[in-house]
Amino acid sequence: MPDGAGAPGRRAFPETEAHALMREYGVPMVRTLLARDVREAAARFTELGAIPAVLKVSSPDILHKTDVGGVRTMIRSADEAAEAFDGIMASVKRLAPEAAVEGVTVQPFVERGVEVIVGGLRDPQFGPVVVFGLGGVWVELFKDVSYRLAPTTREKARRMTMEIRAAPVLKRYRGGEPVDIDALADMIVSVSRLMAEREDVAEVDVNPIFARRNGALAVDVKVLGGGRQ
Amino acid sequence: MNALRPSSVVLVGSSSMVEEIGMTAPSFFRGVEANLRAFRGDIAVVDIDAPVEPAGDMAVIALPPGLSLEWAERCASAGARAIVQLTGGFTAEQRAAYRRLVDRFGFRLVGPNSIMGYIDTSIGLNTAFNEGITPLPGPVSFIVQSGGVGAAVLDTAISEGVGISRFAFVGDKVDVDDEDLLRAYAEDPGTRAIGMYVEGVRDGRSFVETASEVSDLKPVVALKGGMSREGARRASSHTASVAGSDDIFEIAFREAGILRVPSIQSLIHTTFALALQPPLYGKRLAVVSNVGGPAILAADAVVRAGLRMASIGSDTAETVHGTYPGVELINPVDMIADADGERYRDVLEAVLSDGNVDGAIVINQMKSCFFREDDVTGIIESLSKTDKPVVDVVPGGRDFQLLRRRFIEAGVPVYTDPSHAVEAMDALHRYSLVRRGEYV
Repeated sequence: MPDGAGAPGRRAFPETEAHALMREYGVPMVRTLLARDVREAAARFTELGAIPAVLKVSSPDILHKTDVGGVRTMIRSADEAAEAFDGIMASVKRLAPEAAVEGVTVQPFVERGVEVIVGGLRDPQFGPVVVFGLGGVWVELFKDVSYRLAPTTREKARRMTMEIRAAPVLKRYRGGEPVDIDALADMIVSVSRLMAEREDVAEVDVNPIFARRNGALAVDVKVLGGGRQ
Repeated sequence: MNALRPSSVVLVGSSSMVEEIGMTAPSFFRGVEANLRAFRGDIAVVDIDAPVEPAGDMAVIALPPGLSLEWAERCASAGARAIVQLTGGFTAEQRAAYRRLVDRFGFRLVGPNSIMGYIDTSIGLNTAFNEGITPLPGPVSFIVQSGGVGAAVLDTAISEGVGISRFAFVGDKVDVDDEDLLRAYAEDPGTRAIGMYVEGVRDGRSFVETASEVSDLKPVVALKGGMSREGARRASSHTASVAGSDDIFEIAFREAGILRVPSIQSLIHTTFALALQPPLYGKRLAVVSNVGGPAILAADAVVRAGLRMASIGSDTAETVHGTYPGVELINPVDMIADADGERYRDVLEAVLSDGNVDGAIVINQMKSCFFREDDVTGIIESLSKTDKPVVDVVPGGRDFQLLRRRFIEAGVPVYTDPSHAVEAMDALHRYSLVRRGEYV
């Protein structure tokens, strides 16, 4: 069973729709192009015009892309992009044979920052909730997250970022300088608004987000619709 | 909810009926009747073995489900504006039938399965069945969703001298629910703080809205029972996989300005402290004691709670040092075992007027051999000149029992253990954040 299939009745928004939704709510995302076949992979690489690029499998059924060999980094040419496409498809077919695959996304490689996650969910008793935490691979291990009912305010969103145990990491990024808390607060507010306004959305993962000294940039997003719990 | 302030009460039960499984029993019926005798209004008792017209503003019913529904209708027809349905065991259909009666007649229903019903000490109303569990009138009101937890809260309140204004056992919440009672308590001039035992709420968002309005006016403390369905939810996103429903309850309480506590005792202690003392604005506490060890334990607990030990100003230290050369104002302040009421008063007045101190925990160990019962007066006198919160600790058990009444009558929450005093201070601090809109 693919690990992203989740609760019955849930369906993941196609990657392009999920990205469009983020744009609509003003969540800054890394530029992302979708390639459905190997020819498109090469073409999208050229269209992107960024070296190196990153290719990732696009599938509503796959939550952990690296676990199924679904991520290739440091792609420097159209040929490498094509090769990476085939490699990803072969690996995914072997490790997640039941997953429905849309293709791969082509993104520029971006400078990392502190990885955080902003998410949304719908609680059966209290309705839409927004979640913030240290992201990447740590989120599920440490469950170091803070919550607010959605929609929330910028002030509350700022306090959310200070509530997690790992908050000192945000305050002392490279060279002891803090990351851009306001940029994170804006993302939290945006996702909280989305959760409050879009009743067809059940869950959102904006993960990872690279938080930096100036601004914050989301790299991946997953949006699940329907299937109210 | 004026329906819960009746001028006449009718108790409906049976002096002979015993349910095979259920609360209906002669002893239950007689217990409620005994407690109702304190009611300052007309009381009628209807024994359905010899029925009469069940007339009263409020009907209290202690019968099996089927008979209760029948009598609820008769009471409503005879003019009851409120029904307290003590007994439980109602099926979903029977609860729906009760709801239809509420809609048809417009009375307010507490329960069913309320078990102990409703207490309003200002009118002597007490529908509980245990004889001799009449609480003292006082500033704290409770809403409880469990007869067992409620009974424990009530019993502790009585044994610790915590005065009660109103006490509602909401039971199955077919009509009157937490929100109705929060609103009613907000308007009750006798209620200064509200304690709740909650297992679930009907409409989460609406509850949060109502509670946040009420918590702006009066402190609301809650103990939550019923753990989450942790793991019941299949993870489909990272977000959903980390969020337990208890986490969501936690944040919902905070958004509502409700102070969550972990135990029955904490519920009583903190609610009472909030009723008696002003919020703790700031985090800097002084610990003033006549013994060393308990003061150190208090200081440890202060730091553990995320509060701070105040640095007492040098002016204050010099003033005190002038009068009491042996007393160093290093926090925690050890006033030496021979401290009497006068020394407590002078040192506390100095410490509480210090701009570096936001509140004080006073410890008076009677086993110091010098502290006498009347020395309490000194502590109490010092408090009239401050608007900062103060709580007291009398370490021990019998010593605490000996002194507690004098502290409580003076409006000072008093505890047996330093950690309880710190827990109270933490709640007073959290409530200051609620008042300033900085709690979430």
